[in-house]
Amino acid sequence: MKALTVEMLFELKQKDLTFTLLSKKKGLSKEITTPELSRPGLAFAGFTDTYAYDRIQVLGETEVQYLKSLEPSTRYDKIKKLFSQFDIPCFVISKGLFPTRELVFLADEHNIPVIQSRMKTIALYHGLSNFLQDWFAPSKSIHATLVDVFGVGILVTGQSGIGKSECALELVSRGHRLISDDVVHIKKRMNVIIGDVNKQLGHFMEIRGIGLLDIETMFGIRAIRMQKRIETQVELIPWRHNMDYERIGLKERFNRILDVEIPIVYLPVSPGKSIAAIVEVIAMNHMLKVYGHNAAEIFNDRVQKEIERKNRIRTYLETDKE
Amino acid sequence: MITITVMLTNKLGIHVRPASLISKTASKYKSNFLIRKDDMEINGKSVMGIMMLGAGKDTELELFFEGVDEQEMMEEIVELFENKFGEE
Repeated sequence: MKALTVEMLFELKQKDLTFTLLSKKKGLSKEITTPELSRPGLAFAGFTDTYAYDRIQVLGETEVQYLKSLEPSTRYDKIKKLFSQFDIPCFVISKGLFPTRELVFLADEHNIPVIQSRMKTIALYHGLSNFLQDWFAPSKSIHATLVDVFGVGILVTGQSGIGKSECALELVSRGHRLISDDVVHIKKRMNVIIGDVNKQLGHFMEIRGIGLLDIETMFGIRAIRMQKRIETQVELIPWRHNMDYERIGLKERFNRILDVEIPIVYLPVSPGKSIAAIVEVIAMNHMLKVYGHNAAEIFNDRVQKEIERKNRIRTYLETDKE
Repeated sequence: MITITVMLTNKLGIHVRPASLISKTASKYKSNFLIRKDDMEINGKSVMGIMMLGAGKDTELELFFEGVDEQEMMEEIVELFENKFGEE
């Protein structure tokens, strides 16, 4: 995760969140260290016991009206006291409001940037919050391949050379979409893991024996996707005789990725086996489970009912002394 | 596990040719090989992975070797870096 300065926030979101800089530029190098926001109404009023000064301070109509309702000298003193006590990263003001001359003047003195936005408070709050949550989200790069199969994000993992890329290529040629091959950059948003592709490098793939392939040019725009939620992991493992593979699927297994539980399927591979068809089935099975249809459970129910029915007939016939 | 830090000294950094050289060399061995740059960690046996690093001249890379033949693997890989992949 890169450090975020107020200047970066300002430049990245200037257009989206309609920012104008009210203060001088010298405070822009200040660093934003938390994704949370603060509404400092109570802090202005004097209650600073639990004041979250290290967050971005969002001022709406209420805060600005409160500041305006004060006598200029009281206002000056209150703001000055607050600024000399706390190291605030920056202020963002909504609705194009002007947060009084005293605030801007004192902010300049303490090198605190003051940014104005024309957006309504709630929209601005959510816009800022989304951006910050995204920026501060836990993320990392993993060695895997991510494919969108029938709209289900399937993360294919397994040791080098086991056939992750070949599996993805077969899926793409069956009409599914590649997000990233070999390296997936993953990010946690709320409780969802999003995988994306390195935007500069695009959708290339390495197939042993051929070399590099440009998937976008070869299969067209329908074969690629920029990002996708990871819903199931398929771990390819070398097929070994006598190993205990899952046969029924009543018990679901999970793998923790960035602290989120993702269902995982261990798939034994052997030469000549069509992994792509199996991965398609895994995707469809995942969807059925999401919609409440678990094949293993249903089959199990049927077997049990059948046994029960036979038992009933048998006891009936046994008591039949005709 | 062996951890070692290397500095990229060739003019063009890790482009396609060095990437394929590294991954080819690494694939000869059984051990796992990871390369880390900043917060990116990739498998050193994958050409795509190595190129994704986008590592230019004077970049510092951390290399991790783990497995039965980690020592031999480390020696051969580090030699590649020291020889600037046979480039300038």
